[in-house]
Amino acid sequence: MMVLLHMTCSLLSYVAFLIAFLAGLLFLIQERQLKHKHMGVLFHRLPALRTLDRLNFIAIGMGFCLLSLGVVFGVWGARALLGDWWRWDPKETLTLALWGSYLVLWLVRLRATLRGRKVALLSVLGFTLVLFTFLGVSRWLPTWHAYL
Amino acid sequence: MHIVLVGANHRSCPIEIRERLAFRTEQLAAAYVSLQEDLGLSEALILSTCNRVEIYASTPLLDGTISRLSSFLSHHGGVQQDHLLPRLYTYTEPDSVQHLFAVASGLDSMVLGEAEILHQVKHAYELARLHGTTGKVLNVLFQKALNAGKTVRANTAIGHGCVSVGTVAIELAQKIFGDLRPYTVLLVGAGKIGELTLKRLAARGVSKVRIVNRSQGRAQELAALYGGTAYGLASLDLQLLDADIVITSTACPSFLVSRPQLVSLMPQRRLRPLCLIDLGVPRNIDPASGELENVYLFDIDDLQGLVDHHHEQRRQAVCESQAILEEKVNRFLAWWNKEHDQCARSPLAPVAVP
Repeated sequence: MMVLLHMTCSLLSYVAFLIAFLAGLLFLIQERQLKHKHMGVLFHRLPALRTLDRLNFIAIGMGFCLLSLGVVFGVWGARALLGDWWRWDPKETLTLALWGSYLVLWLVRLRATLRGRKVALLSVLGFTLVLFTFLGVSRWLPTWHAYL
Repeated sequence: MHIVLVGANHRSCPIEIRERLAFRTEQLAAAYVSLQEDLGLSEALILSTCNRVEIYASTPLLDGTISRLSSFLSHHGGVQQDHLLPRLYTYTEPDSVQHLFAVASGLDSMVLGEAEILHQVKHAYELARLHGTTGKVLNVLFQKALNAGKTVRANTAIGHGCVSVGTVAIELAQKIFGDLRPYTVLLVGAGKIGELTLKRLAARGVSKVRIVNRSQGRAQELAALYGGTAYGLASLDLQLLDADIVITSTACPSFLVSRPQLVSLMPQRRLRPLCLIDLGVPRNIDPASGELENVYLFDIDDLQGLVDHHHEQRRQAVCESQAILEEKVNRFLAWWNKEHDQCARSPLAPVAVP
């Protein structure tokens, strides 16, 4: 049960981070067009910057909450199944780094230390860490957490 | 049967004559009675807008219909026939059909691709139906023309992009903020375009309006007009903290808003996006301000450049629009031929819309 909850929450968090990535990407495209005063093909079709910014912020927040739940359920499940709370496995470590990155991103956006373009850029970059954590670790690093 | 058109537009006729030819809504009833009883037309429709006055009619025989319609317009506008005739255009089918379809699509408008004409054609058709002056031919003709207009607008870029500086500025603000109603607009100065842009914003539901002007009296005048609050120039910094959209329109020779000023203001604004529209010549806002994060600056050249770009996009959409219209005109003519070609007249060949 814990493992199922862990998987579900983790996967849903990745979906949320994907949404944040897409919103960030579209924000960067739209923002560039406005800054350069060049209205390309996508200009009329893209939502307003504020909409994309809000979507990005909400998606980061939801992704972070879901990832937190996923980590909690995962730790609990590992204790029940393997007897260890945490093994500092590469997958676990990277997930912790991912969790920390999105926590920082969400906080700096909440406090408006950063806003707009920088947050969008970090969301796009953050998703590369998501991809590596989700797909790359199992292929390239030794981990007991491999499932692909 | 024939489909006849007699009319004048912004290209054929100057405003001094056009305004005399125009029909007010309250004049239509008498005009339609006259068209039916005096000219013997069972089907007629008057399209009267600020840029054109046109009468469409369906008649069994041409038999002087065009000259009677020209006299009708001459009499209505109080313009001498010999003065009016060179400024009128007259068409019969298929040109009358092609013309109407092009008009409904915005291809014949002063501003290419404008949307208003479609509503005006629809309104004119509804009024004619109300007065009982449309029959089978004009009903089908105008329904098909309205459909053609909607199709062209939906499937081409003919209506895309704003084509005035004021509307482009609003479009840009909307691209940043989306719905503008919750946001605060600050107008600095009392220039005409600035006021017009503010008027358009107010029309879109923007209610938080602040006016800053050197002359308090003028600021209060504008504030009263647009439901805003007036402030003196000394409070500009304070107003920049709250405003989301700033429109400057002054003749001030030096920058009213500078980059260093915004560098210190933006953190106080919690980095909320700021849209600056500088309509002043010389410029009122330091161009380097546009380099700052979350600050979007557009000067008059930027806005005009976008207007020109949109005009060019619309021009490029004309060929595509004409292809759609050609197909629709031919479809109407096929119906019309089927309805009315029995023996006396040869069918009309399909046409290529020029």
